[in-house]
Amino acid sequence: MSPGPAAALLAAVGAAALMADRLAAVAALAVVLLVVCLRAPAQRRAVYLFGAISTGIGVFVLSPFLWSSPEGTVLWAGPTIPVVGPLDLTTDELYEAGLNGLRLTALGLAFSAYALLLDHDRLVAAAGFARRSALAVALATRLVPSLERDAAGLSESVRGRGVALKGARGYAALLSPLVAGSLERATTLAEAMEARGFGRSASTRAPRVRWTTRDHLVLVVAAALIVAGALWL
Amino acid sequence: MALAAVSGLSFSYPSGRPALQDISFELEPGEVVALLGPSGSGKSTLLRALSGLVPHFHGGCFSGRVVVAGRDTRTVRPAELAGTVASVFQDPEDQVVMTVVGNEVAFGLENLGTPPAQIWPRVERALDVVGAGHLRSRRTVELSGGELQRVCLASALALEPELLLLDEPTSQLDSEAADRFLETVERSGATIVLSEQRVGRALELATRVLFVEQGRLLLDAPVAAGREWLAAERSAYVGACVPRTQALPASGERVLRLHGIAFAYGDADPVVDGVDLDIRRGEIVALAGPNGSGKTTLGKIASGLLEPDRGSVARSGRAFYLSQDPGRYLMRETALEEVALAVAGDLQRAQAALERVGLGWAFGHHPRDLSSGERERLALAAVEVGEPDLLVLDEPTRGLDPDRKRELSARLLEYAASGRAVLLATHDPGLPAHRRIELCVPGTQAPAGAREVRVAV
Repeated sequence: MSPGPAAALLAAVGAAALMADRLAAVAALAVVLLVVCLRAPAQRRAVYLFGAISTGIGVFVLSPFLWSSPEGTVLWAGPTIPVVGPLDLTTDELYEAGLNGLRLTALGLAFSAYALLLDHDRLVAAAGFARRSALAVALATRLVPSLERDAAGLSESVRGRGVALKGARGYAALLSPLVAGSLERATTLAEAMEARGFGRSASTRAPRVRWTTRDHLVLVVAAALIVAGALWL
Repeated sequence: MALAAVSGLSFSYPSGRPALQDISFELEPGEVVALLGPSGSGKSTLLRALSGLVPHFHGGCFSGRVVVAGRDTRTVRPAELAGTVASVFQDPEDQVVMTVVGNEVAFGLENLGTPPAQIWPRVERALDVVGAGHLRSRRTVELSGGELQRVCLASALALEPELLLLDEPTSQLDSEAADRFLETVERSGATIVLSEQRVGRALELATRVLFVEQGRLLLDAPVAAGREWLAAERSAYVGACVPRTQALPASGERVLRLHGIAFAYGDADPVVDGVDLDIRRGEIVALAGPNGSGKTTLGKIASGLLEPDRGSVARSGRAFYLSQDPGRYLMRETALEEVALAVAGDLQRAQAALERVGLGWAFGHHPRDLSSGERERLALAAVEVGEPDLLVLDEPTRGLDPDRKRELSARLLEYAASGRAVLLATHDPGLPAHRRIELCVPGTQAPAGAREVRVAV
């Protein structure tokens, strides 16, 4: 499948998950996306899956206490907190929390599949009218594995000096050098791109494989998924 | 007519640090020029001036003229010079734009407006020339540093430039791969300016030598005359700079014993398999072998950063590890604080360590403001300051100029003589060692972990 239709399909699944109101439908979309993500190499997919799933769990755990619903059966009644109000847990709140958690997980998984499995270069090439923007998105997508590699390297350099990184504060110390490193890399990359003629007028494109019938069909399916998500799921 | 002419070039970065002072020379078509000098002397800046990146990209105070192929770099953007000029920078990871190797090589051709029908044939030709044809469909994030360097060279050669600027392009390659790399460069037919710390190779390839120090051009001569000047003025640059090893102490206490070590990354084949290694106090042991033979992995296992899948590790005392990437020693706001990290903030010891590596002037500098070679020395100081019982150094001469390499050699001998031990993972045969252990790439000439042990010097 060409990366353009594949990206459109992933975006459509993510959008459908956001618009769908039925827990089972959103869960099914999330499971499909999870299965797709599992096609990526284990080492690369781990950080993405952790991010997508832990975000969803976070929403599921926290949102019942931040949003109150008068409907449903009360499962637990807690104290009243100033400003926040009464702390309780109802079946309706649990349902909404599950739905929102799954929506976020599905969205995260759609992005993970995009980052892990798509050929971003061909996506950039396909974007004839907005190549710079597409290239920026492709480079930003590579930021996650770059940061992961940098963090591992910085942590190793500290441990290699006999210093242990302990607790959240220890790992928080990596943040500043990570951000600075990203900025430095961005500058170096921009310099390398300029030296290779990026930004010149009258650039051309290497010939690419044309879309097949299946690619066109995928676009139709993607559009149908969005409609289904809005109307029926 | 000269392909490039530099006249009265002076340049200071926006920080005010003068990088180049009153430099003048010309480059004739087909010349191969070795650009030598200590780290931080201005070699990289001079290469960037030839490609127009200085001053366009970096800003700063620029005076004099640089004319390349009849175009003044002050009035022409670097992107417009691309194609006429091509550059390969020091760190290949920081210059890769695309996700797939073939697309990476095609990137420059597309920018230059190459007719589409010519792009893939030129990409394939360039990859074949550097011996990387088999990598065309691979993802760039999956390549080793050495493979990436070849891909970067292919990206430059695909442009068929008149002037090829190479900034320490073999820093991540083993000796054999570096030789092949430079042979490929020589065959390109372009005018080449090669900044290289492996001076012997650079001089074999070059027809002319430039020597830069503190931003000034001290030498511009044909190779033969250049060798004479270097022998008289900078002897470390023409060999005979490695101090002989001292006699190995009778039998020091064992600081490390590796037995039957095997390790694989994830589900891949083992990188090392069945390796035995003993290191005693007073010893310097060098792990040699081509890219991918497991030198780094074994160094990390020796220092406790990796646990082996199989086999046992017995360590007596502390082991510290110096990574081959100096970009990892940038945790603190000043060089002094960075070095003090390993000694619980002891600034006096940190000062002494910085002075030992010639960075006494950089106490208050941010580590990111240092040049690549200076960062290498900072990293060495940051690890060595802790005076561990076993010092594991991974490619410690990467980016070091010959003078600094000589100092490092002397320092290693001194370190071992003080009753500690050193394990080196290195491509550099010039570093002193009591034993050299040759590791083989698994599945090639010999089984993984096969080794030949010999006493050096």
